[in-house]
Amino acid sequence: MCASVKYNIRGPALIPRMKTKHRIYYITLFSIVLLGLIATGMFQFWPHSIESSNDWNVEKRSVRDVPVVRLPADSPIPERGDLSCRMHTCFDVYRCGFNPKNKIKVYIYALKKYVDDFGVPVSNTISREYNELLTAISDSDYYTDDINRACLFVPSIDVLNQNTLRIKETAQALAQLSRWDRGTNHLLFNMLPGGPPDYNTALDVPRDRALLAGGGFSTWTYRQGYDVSIPVYSPLSAEVDLPEKGPGPRRYFLISSQVGLHPEYREDLEALQVKHGESVLVLDKCTNLSEGGLSIRKRCHKHQVFDYPQVLQEATFCVVLRGARLGQAMLSDVLQAGCVPVVIADSYILPFSEVLDWKRASVVVPEEKMSDVYSILQSIPQRQIEEMQRQLFMEPARRESWLAANHQINSLIWPREQWDSQIINDRIYPYAAISYEEWNDPPAVKWGSVSNPLFLPLIPPQSQGFTAIVLTYDRVESLFRVITEVSKVPSLSKLLVVWNNQNKNPPEDSLWPKIRVPLKVVRTAENKLSNRFFPYDEIETEAVLAIDDDIIMLTSDELQFGYEVWREFPDRLVGYPGRLHLWDHEMNKWKYESEWTNEVSMVLTGAAFYHKYFNYLYTYKMPGDIKNWVDAHMNCEDIAMNFLVANVTGKAVIKVTPRKKFKCPECTAIDGLSLDQTHMVERSECINKFASVFGTMPLKVVEHRADPVLYKDDFPEKLKSFPNIGSL
Amino acid sequence: MQSWRRRKSLWLALSASWLLLVLLGGFSLLRLALPPRPRPGAPQGWPRWLDAELLQSFSQAGELPEDAASPQAPHGGSCNWGACFDTSKCRGDGLKVFVYPASGPISETHHRILASIEGSRFHTFSPAGACLLLLLSLDAQTGECSSMPLQWNRGRNHLVLRLHPAPCPKTFQLGQAMVAEASPTVDSFRPGFDVALPFLPEAHPLRGGAPGQLQQHSPQPGIALLALEEERGGWRTADTGSSACPWDARCEQDPGPGQTQHGETLPNATFCLISGHRPEAASRFLQALQVLAALQEMSPARVLALRQQTQFLWDAYFSSVEKVIHTTLEVIQDRIFGTSAHPSLLWNSPPGALLALSTFSTSPQDFPFYHLQQGSRPEGRFSALIWVGPPGQPPLKLIQAVAGSQHCAQILVLWSNERPLPSSWPETAMPLTVIDGRRKVSDRFFPYSTIRTDAILSLDARSSLSTSEVDFAFVVWQSFPERMVGFLTSSHFWDEAHGGWGYTAERTNEFSMVLTTAAFYHRYYHTLFTHSLPKALRTLADEAPTCVDVLMNFLVAAVTKLPPIKVPYGKQRQEAAPLASGGPGPRPKPQAPAPDCVNQIAAAFGHMPLLSSRLRLDPVLFKDPVSVQRKKYRSLEKP
Repeated sequence: MCASVKYNIRGPALIPRMKTKHRIYYITLFSIVLLGLIATGMFQFWPHSIESSNDWNVEKRSVRDVPVVRLPADSPIPERGDLSCRMHTCFDVYRCGFNPKNKIKVYIYALKKYVDDFGVPVSNTISREYNELLTAISDSDYYTDDINRACLFVPSIDVLNQNTLRIKETAQALAQLSRWDRGTNHLLFNMLPGGPPDYNTALDVPRDRALLAGGGFSTWTYRQGYDVSIPVYSPLSAEVDLPEKGPGPRRYFLISSQVGLHPEYREDLEALQVKHGESVLVLDKCTNLSEGGLSIRKRCHKHQVFDYPQVLQEATFCVVLRGARLGQAMLSDVLQAGCVPVVIADSYILPFSEVLDWKRASVVVPEEKMSDVYSILQSIPQRQIEEMQRQLFMEPARRESWLAANHQINSLIWPREQWDSQIINDRIYPYAAISYEEWNDPPAVKWGSVSNPLFLPLIPPQSQGFTAIVLTYDRVESLFRVITEVSKVPSLSKLLVVWNNQNKNPPEDSLWPKIRVPLKVVRTAENKLSNRFFPYDEIETEAVLAIDDDIIMLTSDELQFGYEVWREFPDRLVGYPGRLHLWDHEMNKWKYESEWTNEVSMVLTGAAFYHKYFNYLYTYKMPGDIKNWVDAHMNCEDIAMNFLVANVTGKAVIKVTPRKKFKCPECTAIDGLSLDQTHMVERSECINKFASVFGTMPLKVVEHRADPVLYKDDFPEKLKSFPNIGSL
Repeated sequence: MQSWRRRKSLWLALSASWLLLVLLGGFSLLRLALPPRPRPGAPQGWPRWLDAELLQSFSQAGELPEDAASPQAPHGGSCNWGACFDTSKCRGDGLKVFVYPASGPISETHHRILASIEGSRFHTFSPAGACLLLLLSLDAQTGECSSMPLQWNRGRNHLVLRLHPAPCPKTFQLGQAMVAEASPTVDSFRPGFDVALPFLPEAHPLRGGAPGQLQQHSPQPGIALLALEEERGGWRTADTGSSACPWDARCEQDPGPGQTQHGETLPNATFCLISGHRPEAASRFLQALQVLAALQEMSPARVLALRQQTQFLWDAYFSSVEKVIHTTLEVIQDRIFGTSAHPSLLWNSPPGALLALSTFSTSPQDFPFYHLQQGSRPEGRFSALIWVGPPGQPPLKLIQAVAGSQHCAQILVLWSNERPLPSSWPETAMPLTVIDGRRKVSDRFFPYSTIRTDAILSLDARSSLSTSEVDFAFVVWQSFPERMVGFLTSSHFWDEAHGGWGYTAERTNEFSMVLTTAAFYHRYYHTLFTHSLPKALRTLADEAPTCVDVLMNFLVAAVTKLPPIKVPYGKQRQEAAPLASGGPGPRPKPQAPAPDCVNQIAAAFGHMPLLSSRLRLDPVLFKDPVSVQRKKYRSLEKP
C-alpha cells in the first residue's frame, strides 16, 4: 500500500509532462496494480470463511484409492504379545502428559492397503465396523491429528476378525508403522480371535507391547489392568429395534437360542427341557425354511418357528454358552433383549469387567454345573432377578461400548478425578462419568438414594472444639453481648465475626470484648447473606457454630451441649430454633410453619452447629440459581442450607434442647420477625422455589429433639453435666 | 536526463507495486488453486469414505452363529477357579474350612491364629466335610516349614496362607492350591484364584486392632499435601507451595522444597506416596512433584471421600491378623456362592463384607446399613419378642401395652422356663406366637424364622412400658435403624484402680449401653449374634446370663462404631421395678453383671468398641410448658 500512496502523491506533478501514449499506458498499468491490491486485500479475508465450513476438512475419497504399501517378505516381525505387560511396564505414560487437564489424545494412522511382494493383499482393507469405530474415535474429543501429541495410537489395519487376515504379513504391516516402537501405546481392536482348530482366546498376530481390546479373552490370555475385554459385535442388535420391556416375570424361565452348539451341551440342555417342561425352551436353527437369507433371524423348536432375537424378550434367563470362541455375539442380543444372561464359559473375561459389575446383571455358572443350572437359577430371589433386569437397561449399546473401551483405557492412565464434570454432562459420552456407581447404577436407583459425603461413622474428638461465626451488620451492642456469651463455652476455639457492612468500619480493636480465644473480623466486599457460609481459611475446626448477632439467650450449657450433640451427628445440622415444612392441600404447595409443633424438619442457622464442609458445598455446589436468589432476596439462606444438607446426606436435622426464645425474655412466643405475615409468605415461597430447583423435597420430618440424658429427671441438679438448660 | 531519471523512478515504483502484488496476491491465488491444507489446530479427522456404504462387515452374516463348537476348555499353564477348585463339597450354608493342625512345636502367634480360626464360623473339624483345607505357613522366624499334608490331593481345594514372606524352600509343589500372600509377583499371581494379602508386620495385632487414626473427616488446613517415603524410613513432605512440574517436561527442579522428617512415625500429610521400586531418591522426589500437580487439582469432595474410605478399609479388613484371614476366606466364599455372593456395595461401604453376612441376604435394603444409599426406608412395623424366664408369669399387661401400638405387627413369646406353657393367652388383635425356647439365654438373640419384620422390640416379661413409650421409641428407631434404641441404660468406664473396665447401671450423665430387656433393634443383629460371634462368647453369655446385654451392645457398637440411643422412660416405674436379677429381666436394684463380663468380652473383641453418648432423644415438645393437648406423646409427660 505504501508504495502506491507515494506514487499518488507525486503523480500530479509528473503526469502532465508525459506523452499521451505513455499516459494511457501508465494509467492502465496503475489501474491493474490497484485492482490487484484490492483483490489481494479481499483474499486476505475470504479464505478463512471458506475454510471454516465443516466439509472443508474431511476428505472425500474412495477406500479403493488409498495408497498401496508393499511389504518385502523379509521386513521385520514384532515379538509375540508380551504376557507380562502391565501399564507401568509396557506403557509410556509420559506421552499422555500434553493435556493433563483434558483427556488422552488418540491418533489414527492413515488408511493404507498392504500387499506382499507379489501384490497379493494382506487383508481386507477395512471392514464396515472398523470404519465406524475409527469414525467414532475421530469424532470424539480424544482424537488428535498431531502424531507428536498423541498418547494412544490406533492403526488403521483392521484386525477385528483374525480369519480374514494373514497373520505374519499383518504383523509386518504393524511393525512398519511410523511410531510403532515395539507397539508401545498402540491399541488394537479384535473381536474374533484365534482360528481353527484350537481357537486361541487372544489375537494371534504378533504385536509385542501393543494393548489389545479383544472380545473373548480368557483368564490365560487377559492381561489384567492392561488389555480391555470388549463385547463381540452382533449384526442383529444393530438391525433390530426391540421395544423396552420392564422387569417382571416372563413367559419362559430359561431359553437357549444358540445354534451350532456342541452335541454334549445340547444334550444337557434338552435334558433340562424334558425335566422342567414349558418353562425351558431350547432352540436350534431352522432346517425347513426355504429362504436361506432370513434363517439367522429365525429359531426353531421342533416345528415351531420363533423370531430371533425377539424371542429372547420372552425369557427371564438366557443361556450364553461357550462356542469355539469364548466371546459370543449372542451376549449382545441377550443384553439388548433385557434377558438376564446365564454365562456358561469357564475362564471367560466378561466385557469391560474391570469397571462393570457383572454380578449385578448376569449369572455365571461353571461348565461342569450345567446340569444344575435350573436349580441354581431357581434359588435366586425374585427381587434380585428384577434388580438384574433393571441393570440390563443400561448395559452399553454397541457404539457406546467402543467408546467405553476408550474410556476404560483412559481411566487406567489418569487418576479418575482428572475427568471433571464437564465431561459427565457430555451427551455423546455417557460413560465418561466413571465412579463405580456411575458405571453400574441405572438412573432409577439413583432416584431417592444419596451418597453422604461424610459417610464414615466417626465421633470427632472433643478437644478439636468449634469455630463460632457471627454474621453482623451494625448491631454492635448486641454483637458484643453475643460474643461475650459465646466465649464462655468451654469448647469454643475461635470466634469469627463476618462484618457485612461496607459503609461502616468495625469498631476499633480496643473496644471489642476481651475473650480467651482468638477473635477475627472478616470484612466482606458485598452485603450478601451467603457470606456467612463462605469456607473461610480462618475456620480451622470441623465444627462451625453459625450464630446471629442477636441470639443472646442461649446459655453456655446449651451451647456446649449442642456441640456435644454435633459430635455424635457430625453430618447433620444441629441447631436450636426448629421449624417445619407442611403440604398445604388447599393451595397445593409447601408451607413454612413456625408454630410449636410435634415435628421438626429444619433448624435455623441463626444458631446451629454443622460441619464446615457444608460451607464449601453451599458456596460452590449449590444447585441452580439458589445462591443468587438468596442474595437477591436477602432471605432464606438458612432454608437453603437445610435443603442442601438434607439433600446430600438424606438425613434429618437435630433440634437441640427445648429452647424456643432466643432474642429477648419478654418477647411473645415467637420472636419479632417471625410474627410478620409477609415474612411467613416469603419463607413459604422459598421452600417452594428450592423444592423445584432440587427437583424433590429433601427435608426429612422427625418427632424428636436432643436433650441431655438427665434433662428433667428427678436427679440432683448439681450432679447434672448441663444443668442450665432453659425450658423456653 | 531528468525525464530518464523520472522514468526510472516511475519504473521503480511500478515494479515495487508489482512485487507487492505478487507477494500478497500470489499466495491467495495459490491457496485457491490448490486444495486447502488443513491448518494445524483443526483436526483433519478420519475420512468419510465415499464408498463407506459398500464396505463389508468384519464377519459374514452366517459366520457368527455357525462357530464350530469344541467343548474343550481352553488350557493354560496355570490354574483358574473353574479348573482347579471343586465346589461340589461346598454345599450348604457357608464355607467350611478345615485347618491342618500344626506338627511339632509352634509359635504363640501360630497357636493363636489356629485358635481364632477354630472359633470362627468357618471352621469344621472334619477334613472330609470341609470345602476348603487351610494350610498355615507363617512361622517365619522359627524356620518352621510345613511338610506335605495328608489330604493334599495335588493341592485341590487347598489354600496356602502365607502371612509373612516365606523363607521356606518350597518343600512340595503348590500345584492346584490357592496361595494367599503379600506382594505376589505379576508372573506367579493367578487373578481370580490366588489372593493378594497386605504386607503384615510381625507385631500386627491378632484381633481387634488399633482403630484408624483419622480423627476428623476433612484434612486440617495447613498440613502438608504430600509425604514421600524415603529410603531409611523417613518421610519428606511437599506442599502446595512446592512448584510442581508440568506433565510433559520431566522435572528439572532441585528437590529443594520440603522438609525431611526422620523416624518411624507417619507424617502428618494428606497424601503419602509409597513407591514399590527403589529408584534414586532424587528422581522419586521429582516424581512426587508430578504427583503433587495431579493432587492439587483434586476437589475437596474427592479428598474427603478418599480419606474416609482408607479408614473404612483399614478398620474393616486390615487392622488385625484375624480380619485379614477372615477377609481371605470371605473372598473365597464369594467365589463359591456365585450369585449369592456379596454385592460390591456391601464390600465397599461400612460396615463391610465381614459384618454384612451374605448368608443373611444379598439385597442391601434387607440390612440396616444401606437404606440411604438405596433410597429405601425401614419398614413401618415391628415384632415384639418377649422373653419369659423364671418364674414364668405370662406378661399379660405388657402384651396389652405393646399390642396397643399402631406399629406392632406381631408378638412373639419366647417361653424359657421350667413351667409348662400356659394354655390360654390374652385376646389381642395382634398375631401371637409362642416359641418354646431351649432355656438358654443366648436363645433370646436367635434369628427365628417366625420374626417377619425388620424391627424387633426385645422385651423381658417383667418390663413395663406404656404404648406411648413404645410408639415414640419405634419412630426414633426408624430414623436410626442401624442402632439400638432403648429405655434403660448403663455405662462402661475405665477403672484406674483395678486397671480394667468397670460397669455401672447407675444413672449418670452419659451411657454406652442400653438394656436389651426393652430395646428396639434390627433383626439382622440376631443373625450376627448367632452366626458371627465366636462360640466362646456365646457360651460366656449362657453361663453368666447378665452378660448377654453387654455382649449384644458390644456387637452392635463394633458394627456401627456409634453409641446406642436412649429415649425417655417413665420415671416412677424406673425407680420401682425394672432391672434384672439372676437372669435377663428386671432386677430389684440396678446391679452390675458378673464383674468381669465387660473385661472378658473386651478381650475377646480385642478392643473396646463401646462409645458413650450424652444425649437422650425426647419428643419435640417433651415437658415443655405448653398445653398437653398440643402434644403427641401425652403419657410421657406424666411426672
